[in-house]
Amino acid sequence: MSRGPLLGELAVLDDVGPPRRGRAYPAAGASWVLLAPAVLLLGGLLAWPVLRTLQASVTTDGRWVGAEHYRAALAAPGTAATVGRTVLWALVVPSVVTVLGYLLAAASRRSQEGRLVRLILVVPTALPLVVTGVTFRLLYDPDPQRGLATLLLARVTGRAPEQVPQLLGPELVTVALMSAFVWAWVGLAMLVFRAALDTVPTGLVDAVRAFGGSRRDVLWDAQWRPLLLRTVAVVFALVAVGTSRTFDLILVMTPGSVRDEAAVLALRVWQTSAATTTGEGAALGVIWLVAVAAGILVAALFVRQAWPPPRRSAAVAPVAPPPRRLVRLLAAGAAVAWLLPLGVLVATSLQDPVHAATESWWSSPPDLDSYRAVLTGAELWPSLGFTLVLATLVTAAVLGVALLAAYPLAWLTGPAAQVTGLALMVAVVVPVQVIAGPVNEVLGVALSSGTARGLALVHVALGVPFAVLVLRNAFADLPAEQVRAARVGGRHWWGTLRRLARHNRTPLLAVAVLEFVQVWNDLAVGLLFSSPDATPLGLFLAGQTRGFVAGSGTLAAGSVLASILPVLVFVLARRQVVAGLVAGGVR
Amino acid sequence: MTATGRLRRRTLLRAAAAATAAGAGGCARGTRPVQVAVVWSGSELARFREVVAGFSAPVQVVGVGNDIDAFLAARQLAGTSPDVAMLSRPGLVVEYARRGWLTEVTPAASYAVPAGMADLLTADGRRYGVWIKAAHKSLFWYLPSMLAEPPRTWDALVALTRRLGARHRAGTGPAPLAVGAADGWVLTDWFENVLADIAGPGGYAALARGDGDWQDRPVRQALDRLAELWSIDGAFPGGGRRALLTQFEESVIQVVHHRDATMVFEGDFVDAVGTRFRRGTEELAAFRFPGARIADQPLIVGGDAAVVFAGSAGGVELVRWLSDAAAFRPWLEAGGYLSPNLAVPADSYRDPVRRRLAVELRDAETVQFDLSDQLSGTFTGTDGVGIWRIMQDFFMDVTDGVSAAEAVRRATGQLAETARTAGRQR
Repeated sequence: MSRGPLLGELAVLDDVGPPRRGRAYPAAGASWVLLAPAVLLLGGLLAWPVLRTLQASVTTDGRWVGAEHYRAALAAPGTAATVGRTVLWALVVPSVVTVLGYLLAAASRRSQEGRLVRLILVVPTALPLVVTGVTFRLLYDPDPQRGLATLLLARVTGRAPEQVPQLLGPELVTVALMSAFVWAWVGLAMLVFRAALDTVPTGLVDAVRAFGGSRRDVLWDAQWRPLLLRTVAVVFALVAVGTSRTFDLILVMTPGSVRDEAAVLALRVWQTSAATTTGEGAALGVIWLVAVAAGILVAALFVRQAWPPPRRSAAVAPVAPPPRRLVRLLAAGAAVAWLLPLGVLVATSLQDPVHAATESWWSSPPDLDSYRAVLTGAELWPSLGFTLVLATLVTAAVLGVALLAAYPLAWLTGPAAQVTGLALMVAVVVPVQVIAGPVNEVLGVALSSGTARGLALVHVALGVPFAVLVLRNAFADLPAEQVRAARVGGRHWWGTLRRLARHNRTPLLAVAVLEFVQVWNDLAVGLLFSSPDATPLGLFLAGQTRGFVAGSGTLAAGSVLASILPVLVFVLARRQVVAGLVAGGVR
Repeated sequence: MTATGRLRRRTLLRAAAAATAAGAGGCARGTRPVQVAVVWSGSELARFREVVAGFSAPVQVVGVGNDIDAFLAARQLAGTSPDVAMLSRPGLVVEYARRGWLTEVTPAASYAVPAGMADLLTADGRRYGVWIKAAHKSLFWYLPSMLAEPPRTWDALVALTRRLGARHRAGTGPAPLAVGAADGWVLTDWFENVLADIAGPGGYAALARGDGDWQDRPVRQALDRLAELWSIDGAFPGGGRRALLTQFEESVIQVVHHRDATMVFEGDFVDAVGTRFRRGTEELAAFRFPGARIADQPLIVGGDAAVVFAGSAGGVELVRWLSDAAAFRPWLEAGGYLSPNLAVPADSYRDPVRRRLAVELRDAETVQFDLSDQLSGTFTGTDGVGIWRIMQDFFMDVTDGVSAAEAVRRATGQLAETARTAGRQR
């Protein structure tokens, strides 16, 4: 326990905190060699593209044009609304997710059904956002014969289905998208809060009570001040940065006619420049990049100030009483509400394709025809196979590169450690849409633009910063005796590294699981860099949404099949993921 | 680690490197198949593989998804372009040719396409592509049991829509029209048909080339005409707002399955969707997009053109072979496909609809190619962008009670502005 199974990001963010790497790590003679793969990847596929984007935003064909592109991009019709919407996303969604996550974590603690509730809430976290989009588009279909939400709205308001506010219509589409996003992310927030609440020493609560503190005092003095303030900041920052991934959701959920009403900067940048570099696209991208980077840095510094290094306490036995019945009912209600969209998806997938497109899913018995159609089709299997190979190879490569780089970085101390920490943190949040054009240029030079190799390279480059951060912290927090033992045991740096890696199994597993699930669930990278030889799953599913209603049966079946593996992996390994991301502690 | 250990590792590495090199070399030595990049998928892709199976050399067909432009640009950058690509936007063919990416092609002797199509694939007097497939985009589809007499002029269509719309509002009948307005291309196809009828070949071609005036009278008249029809109360099932969330396939389903609507406008590919989702066995029938007079029947076509990338001799051969009427046979046998090649005899089409359309293609005085596919840059349109977006805004305005004059003013303003921006980018 201790500072927290606060989901690694905590540890990650904490890393810019007061230098705590007092012990000198053994210097590895080959540190530059160890760093080389990571530096090459990040330099070529992140740093250079970012610089190139900066350059493109102030030049036209190499000619300096100053702020002209910025002016043009900001003056373009709809840009103001898009920026506003992006900010709205970054403020509203994290607030809702944080509050809901806290309430559900508190409500599901220490009760029999709490485990089940938490399990149900975690499943959407592991789903590809493409699948989330498919699910909610089915739920919100404007036709009351198919859209359960529209039907319920019509019943509740007593209006004709045509008069009911359209959830996917121009006025409400952003709300609909946000609801889908909240559905997907609350599980993560809840996990973090739950871990945080578990670390609050019960003695503290008792002490507050003993001094005659009310319920509110308990919340304030025993939970908020020592711990929750920081956790809230972390969750808020995480989700705010996460909202830049709404891109997938918008592409899948919005019909073409309302796409502009739903557009955020991610989409706008992609629409203006796709996989090439244009001045206006670059200008928008730079604005966005600066905002995201500033956001993560502010969050990191804020967390640092709010940081009272929590003490490790012995595992606390659940002595406190379980929450009240009303609260527990609330948790159960949330679980049911969270299951509903999943139910809609599965029920739709159990209709034959023609029926799914024309009638309601509750009007006929289940049928496996849609699964049959998908499974016997020519596209699903190659796509599944390719995605599996891609995710496995990328995960292996990321682990390898990150492990090599984390080792020498772990013995940096003082400002050097903080600067690398901040740089890596910014690298984690660089939106891929912004740098797609220059990355394609780099890949073109490396002869792998538009090939599966290029796609894998981009995935590796995007995955490395986070992996390095986590592993570096894990290395740095190893007890000195273990490091010394490894030094003595391994005669060469690789022997030492291997031994040290063995002590870091949990963070390694956590990084591996997250990377695998991320690549498996990806749409944006596949969309920008995929090759004709093989289609990643996300792209395969998103491609089918072009005829959404007509293909809803097979699309739902494909979505279910695509979700099985990431959900299984994530649910099974969720403890290790949480524990592993917490760098430090005595292991 | 001992010295032998190190040696062993190094030997292993070297062996692995050698094996990789050998593998790569082995691939390069075999005769490389001619690579063709297409946007088709599913049965369309399978059919094309059948077609190229008849070619003398091996051909590798790769479906590259919807954004073939981005794909080809990335491949060109990397120097790994395919030999041949199928493009549905003639604007791209000219653009690529000007950049020097393409090789000139010579079609087979029998190749003959309608006037107005061939010119679209030439740049500076050289031919850089041949048409392989065509789509007829000037049809209204209906179930004969739902509509006794199809209208033959625009005014008759408006009158019919008014009559059926009134009945629909009273709750005693289906709406007159289904439209998949969530897909911008459906609306641009509407606009193109009306525009072709009003502007005539010269004005239409000028707009397509990028030197017409989008605020001039023909465009305004065309939009006026559309506003007249679309603003009729009860024209669409569920109203205009609902239509904007209806995709193309769903609009066909509304006609053939739910029978919520009587007619749906789109290309010859409607009947495949209709057959899949119909209730009962009744087949869709089609009538031509009506013009101002009975004799005026605009004909808009779409199509796929084959281009060859610079330096590919095999590609030139393949394209010449594809342009021959004989190569179209597998498509003829499958049914549902239309050849742009007039040398394919009309009576060799198996399905009667296609046979009729082939005759129409032959007899038409002027054939106009899909306008939005000829526009440059982002003007060409995709979801939420360009002319797709502008037509959807226009549709939203006129079905939402904005006066026709105001809606037309907004739309022409946007069209002119977007055309200017696209022209600058070029």
